[in-house]
Amino acid sequence: MTVKVEVIEGGVPHDKIMIAGLVSSLVCIYLTYVNVLTQTEMFSFFGGIAAVAALIWGSNTIKVLCSYGIGTGVPSAGMMAFGSGVIAMLFATKFGILAPIVALILAAIIGAVLGYLANNVLNMKIPTMIRSLTEMSIVGALSLMGFAALTCGGFTFADLTTNVISIFGIALPSYQATFIAGGAIAVAFLLGAIAIQHPFNACLGPGWTQDRMLTLTAECGFISMVVCAIMSFALISVSSAVISLIVALIGWVFTYHQYFVLSKRDAAAWLDAKPIPDVEGH
Amino acid sequence: MTAVAAKPQVGSMFNPVAMVVGTILFLILLGVMYFLGSTPAFITLIGIVIGGVLIGFGVHFVPVGGAPAAMGQAPGIATGVAMLAAGGGLAGLFGGAWAAEQGIVMATITGAIGGGLMMAITCMMVNVVYVYGMGIPAASGKVKNDPITGDSQAEYKSQGTEGHGLPFISFVGGVVGGLFAGAGGTLIYMELLDLYKGSLPTLLGASEAQILPIAVTLAGIFAIGMFLVNAVLTAYNITGTIEGPHDPKFKRWPRSIVASAAASALCGLVAILIVIMN
Repeated sequence: MTVKVEVIEGGVPHDKIMIAGLVSSLVCIYLTYVNVLTQTEMFSFFGGIAAVAALIWGSNTIKVLCSYGIGTGVPSAGMMAFGSGVIAMLFATKFGILAPIVALILAAIIGAVLGYLANNVLNMKIPTMIRSLTEMSIVGALSLMGFAALTCGGFTFADLTTNVISIFGIALPSYQATFIAGGAIAVAFLLGAIAIQHPFNACLGPGWTQDRMLTLTAECGFISMVVCAIMSFALISVSSAVISLIVALIGWVFTYHQYFVLSKRDAAAWLDAKPIPDVEGH
Repeated sequence: MTAVAAKPQVGSMFNPVAMVVGTILFLILLGVMYFLGSTPAFITLIGIVIGGVLIGFGVHFVPVGGAPAAMGQAPGIATGVAMLAAGGGLAGLFGGAWAAEQGIVMATITGAIGGGLMMAITCMMVNVVYVYGMGIPAASGKVKNDPITGDSQAEYKSQGTEGHGLPFISFVGGVVGGLFAGAGGTLIYMELLDLYKGSLPTLLGASEAQILPIAVTLAGIFAIGMFLVNAVLTAYNITGTIEGPHDPKFKRWPRSIVASAAASALCGLVAILIVIMN
């Protein structure tokens, strides 16, 4: 049996965060499809917003999972999320416009199987294990797809592997300078993996507050978006990349400021650090 | 019962039903691959599963100390399983990728040596820091005598600790774990690279030289993803710290083999279907 070491008190319920994160992430990924409809690349920045939304959801999931002493450290959960998410996401890109939905379903299947293996075969016996790993796999897949859409302007396999470069006015397909072949996917992978595990790792403890942790997640997400926006200068038009960069910078400065305010709020309060609470009946 | 005393009491016993379900799942996934794809794709999946199992088995050897080790209260390297496995195994994978042109056998051996070398350097520098930085001798808390050298451990162990530093058996365990994990990661990479090099040109309608960067990155990112999945599953199996091959927790490895085989089969199936399905 396992004992829950920390109690979740107050804050927004996890189900609400899950639904909000899932819906806003899917909607924002689909908003990048406006690029195709309008023949521009101006709407790529919605990919970054999708990634931030998914990361906020994933961060709260990590909180739910790691409240049970899993004994392996919080970063392992983030690595698991993106390790399984990248597999689902890359396969899903083959399905064109349906890619985000397929990524969602496939990541859910992979996450559920991994959750079963961890919980039953490896005898972890943690009540939320299967659900949490399912959610985190989806978060990994959706946030990577968001970063992909931000960096190269689309989320289909063709967008990720082909780039049209014009030499002396002649358009030539290039496979080298793309999201996958250029190795940008590896950068996006680790940017996301760190952004998802860092907030709970940094904020855990008796003074944990949900709004501070989620603000830090948004901050981590936006700073990852800044890096991806800089990478996108190589793959999409300069004006579109500038828009992404400005959106990312505004988001980062705002959330960083908010996190500072919240940290001061929590640090200035006198904390009656009681003994670790006894929880029974788990 | 207080929460302080209640470390996760994960049984070291096996769950027979789940083990059978895991094995059946693994066989079903192999069967799906056999009927969906061609024989070369099936052999690729077998290679990926072997690689995944090597990673899962190898990580058990690595002496993981976690936070207690950083305070000199438990033996091992002072970080988590996932970080150590990623360090040792990815170093091996990069080493093996350099030798990719020399064929699969040479690349896998190079990958194993890369992983083992990385772990050997890590273990040695950890002991340097322990002995000269923190001033503690190496002593195991789980065995009376080192199984390899036969040195007595109890005299060097401080009271109230589970041992500290990195005894010889843990050092050897770390290197052996690096060898297995490096070889496993490289094997997954090589199998996927061969498959992608063969099938991507027709899929994208381009020459092999043009798609080579895509094949390399796709195989690499899938290998890293599967490596992390297997390493974290093994970390869940160990639940925290392990001293090395002499630790009682080492006996849990059959669970990890089943889990790694099923997880690698599932992830490998998806990674292969990306080029087979149109």
